[in-house]
This record gives sequence, C-alpha cells and structure tokens, in this order.
Amino acid sequence: MDQLKTVSWIIFIVSAAAILYALILNPASWIVYTISLVFIPLFILSLGLISMARGKKEDEEDKIKEPFIGY
Amino acid sequence: MDLSTLGGQFLGTIPLGDIVLYLTTFNLFMFGAALVFTAIIAMSRTESQVEAEFGTLNEREKKVSKDEFKIRRFLSIVCGLATAGAMITGDLFNFTLFVCLIGIVNIGIVAAVKEVDVLDSAFQYGIIAMIATLPLFGGAASILATTGTISLLELVNIPTSAFMLFSSILLFIGVAGESGVAPFFATKAEMFRTAGSPFLVIIHLSSLLVIVRIIEILLIINKPFGI
Amino acid sequence: MNLMADILLNVTVAFFVGSILLGLQRKVMARIQMRPGPPIIQHMLHTLKFFIKETVFPRTAAMPFYVAITIILCAIWVAAVIIGPVTHGPLLLLFAIFAIHKIVEHNAGSSSGSPYGKLSCVRAVFSAAAELPLFAVLIIVFIQTGTMDLNGIIAYQAEHGALLFTLPLTAMIFIVLIISKSYYYSPLNITLARDIVSGFETEHFGTLRGFIMISEAIAWYMLLWIFLTVFLGALTPIEYLIAMVILTAIVGLINAVTPILNPNHSVMTEVTLAFIGIVGSLLMIFFL
Repeated sequence: MDQLKTVSWIIFIVSAAAILYALILNPASWIVYTISLVFIPLFILSLGLISMARGKKEDEEDKIKEPFIGY
Repeated sequence: MDLSTLGGQFLGTIPLGDIVLYLTTFNLFMFGAALVFTAIIAMSRTESQVEAEFGTLNEREKKVSKDEFKIRRFLSIVCGLATAGAMITGDLFNFTLFVCLIGIVNIGIVAAVKEVDVLDSAFQYGIIAMIATLPLFGGAASILATTGTISLLELVNIPTSAFMLFSSILLFIGVAGESGVAPFFATKAEMFRTAGSPFLVIIHLSSLLVIVRIIEILLIINKPFGI
Repeated sequence: MNLMADILLNVTVAFFVGSILLGLQRKVMARIQMRPGPPIIQHMLHTLKFFIKETVFPRTAAMPFYVAITIILCAIWVAAVIIGPVTHGPLLLLFAIFAIHKIVEHNAGSSSGSPYGKLSCVRAVFSAAAELPLFAVLIIVFIQTGTMDLNGIIAYQAEHGALLFTLPLTAMIFIVLIISKSYYYSPLNITLARDIVSGFETEHFGTLRGFIMISEAIAWYMLLWIFLTVFLGALTPIEYLIAMVILTAIVGLINAVTPILNPNHSVMTEVTLAFIGIVGSLLMIFFL
C-alpha cells in the first residue's frame, strides 16, 4: 500500500501541475485538449487513491486473495 | 462537401507514396484510442477467471498459459496496429486490407484457446469472414472501376452515381461480415467467454472502430443530395 | 474565458447536474411505486461515499487494465464534454465515444475475472448491435441538415425550426438509446441489469467504483445534452435544466413500469424500434 500511496501522490502532483499550466499559461488548444483528456481523469483517480480509507495491514493479504466473497 | 464536414477540422495528410493517410479530429481521436488500447495490452497481465465448482464450496481458476499468452499478445498488438492504421488511411484498398487482416487476427487470437465452444464459434466466424472478403474487395474494386480512383481524398469530390451506391453497399456487407456485426454477432459473442481479457478487448475494439470508420467512408463516397 | 477553465467548469457542472438527475430518477421511480424513495442527492452521496472507501486490486485481475479502464471511461466522457458544450464539434466523434463506452463495459467486466463481470462482458458484445440506432440518427440528421457539426446543426435549427418537429421518429430512436443507457432498472440496459448483480461494475469497488460513478454522472448529463442540442437547438441554461429534468422523469417513469428484458429481447426491441424509426424518418424526409 505504501507503493500505491507514493505513486498516487506523484500522479496527483503531476496532473495538478499540468492542469494549472493549462489554466494559467493558456497554450494552444490542441495542447489543452490533450492535457484535459489525460490529466483530468488521472487527477480525480489519484485524489481518490490518496483520500481513500485503509484497512488493517494483516487483513490486506486476505482481501487481495479473496475479494469476491466480501467482508 | 469536403472531409471536414464529417470529421471536424482537417489537420493534414501523411503521403506515403500513393497511399495517403489523412488526419481529421475524428480520425485522430480513433487512432489515438486504438493506440492507447494497444499500448495497455502490450503491458497487461491477463486475469484468471474464477468459477465455482459443482458439489463443493471450492473455486476453480481458469488461467492463460505462458505460451498461449505470448502468441495471443503478439496477435493482439498486430490487431491493434491494424485498427489504428485503418482509422487514418485515405486509401480504400488499404482500408480493406487492414479490415481483412483484422478479421484473420481476430480468429488467431482465440484459436489458441482450448475450449470447444469458443473454437466452434471462432470457426463459424472464420467462415463468414472468408465469404465476406468477396464483397469487401469486390466493393473496393468496383469503386475503382467506376470512378478511376480509390483515394478517399479524391472520392469526396466525385458526385455519387448509382453504381457507386451499389459498390458501397457491397463494401458495407464485406465489412459487416469481416468484423462480425449483427446478424453475425450471435456467433461471435461466444468467443468472448474465454479467459484473456486484454486480448478479447482488442477484438471488440477493432470491430466497433471499423464500423464507425466504414460509416464515415460510406458518407464520403455517397453524398446526400445537394451536398 | 480560458479554454481549460471552460472545460473544467463544464465537467464540474456535468458531474453535479448528472448526479442530481440520477437521484431524481430514483425518486420518480420510488414515487411511482408509492414509497417515499431516497433523497434526490442520494446518488451524489453514494458517489462520494464510495470515493473515500478502500479499494483493493484483486489477485486475479488483469492489471493494469483493471485500473486503466476506469481512467479511459472518464477520459472519453471528458472528451464528450469537450466536443459538446465547449467546442460544439463534430457529431461523428460522439459515435466513436459511444463505441468506446461499449468497450469499457466489456473490459471492466472481464478484467476482474469474476463471473458476473464476464456475463456483463458478453452482454456488452450483444448490445453493441443496438448501437445501430445511433448511427441511423447521425445519418438521418446529416441527410436532413447537410452537416455533421453541432454548430451547423444549431444554425440549421435557428433557421428552420427544431428538428424534433421535422424528425420526430429520429428523436424517438434517440430516446430509446437514452433508455438503454440509463442506470436504474432500465428495460434495455442489459449490461447493468440486476440479475448479474451490478454487471461490469460489480468487481470495481471503493474508490474505483466512486470514480466510475463520477464518469457515469457526466455521461448521463452529456447524453441528455446531446439530445436536447441536436433536436431542440441551442437553449439557455435554465431551459436545458428544465428539459433535462423532464427527460429524466420520463425515463424514470418508463424504467419503473417496464420489466428488465432478457438480453435477446432487449437487443431485438432496440433493433425493431430503430428500424421503424429509420424507415419512417426516411419516408418522411423524402415524401413529405
């Protein structure tokens, strides 16, 4: 899970930076379209992965192994 | 009418000799989508399908073996690249060749599977795809015969004649058979029950994107009245 | 206004209005069934609740497809927002977006390895045959107006009156398409039918489910927006809102009183209605 948190933070910072760049510097429209298509979803997803709750460490293995039976 | 009526802003051409690839907003979006999916397939694992066993509470996993995985991944990437090429080509014969390749590779992707229903369905689909190459290439050839060109960039300026309408119907039947839309879909759907999710998605993606592209091509060849 | 700010504003509006409309649909369905039903913001509350819940990636899942497909779903509906309210671009791209949405339903179902997802995956393949109505709508609108561009269609309607009155059967086909994409107990939406639990969304849980619900809210708003713009022309924001509320209520009414059709019946119903609509529209264009 630590790896997930690190990766999510990196993606969050990169996408926030790209969106701010497009907002402030106002580049050519095709650049804005590409940035919005790629980085708006990544921004929302990384925001979710950062803010999501975490379970206990010892349950983690069970959840990955048997997710379909639920808890 | 010109190409930008249908596809949004005309962005340019990539002339590769006689075969000219052209880019509009529409083509570029589909090209990009095909490439994104191909890239993700190239680096994706497959899933293991979980099924319940009868008589016990255990589960059984259906996995894709290593050799099968490698060959299916290779064929999926070929399929993805062929789809991407079919999206931006401006040459009708080039498009039909890509569609034919997509049809062959679609069968190949499931031919490595060891389930009888899937193989049966792939066999039926293969027969239809083979029969459909006649209207597919016949349609392209008769458009060449009647107008003297297979370049979409020139066809867009040639007024529609009755024979062009007939040829485009042949072309549509050919594409429908090769990519497996309704009514041929009923058998193709059984091919998707097997394991190997990334490889199946490119089969579905190629069929749908080819259908979207053939609609654009048909509208380029047959212009509604007064356009 | 800055292009990026325009896109962000429209995406946010699409999410909020879409969520409220989906909550409204549940309320309408509940009232028809003579029970109070959840509050109208319930769908948005569910979205936010799921968004902050834990997600895990199952051992059997096809990574990175399992996560990438949710990103692709959001990306295509952001693309629809860009083509629609922001740039009024080419309509044929929307056809491509609907096609890729089918692919997302397919892959989200099969990438987890769960049997419910697999069933939804195969049903997504069946129901792709029902995208025939969409391309028929596009072609008929093209024949009538001579343009595939939203700007052109709006200009045509400013001159000649709303397409709803000249092409009523085409509008009917589009409403059938909207019903087939609605989320709660739709007769024609076989990939999300309740007999396969939650269809392709079943095994995406927690944050990923919240993310999918955000994309779905945007998708619902965009579906209604496209219908209103293509068939009624450019409207003011208040008129859009009122018309979307009315459309959602109609869809809620239809969902509440019809059974969920089995996959074959659903596809045949859509294809039959599309056929009636296409033949009728062509007859109306050429003989009236």
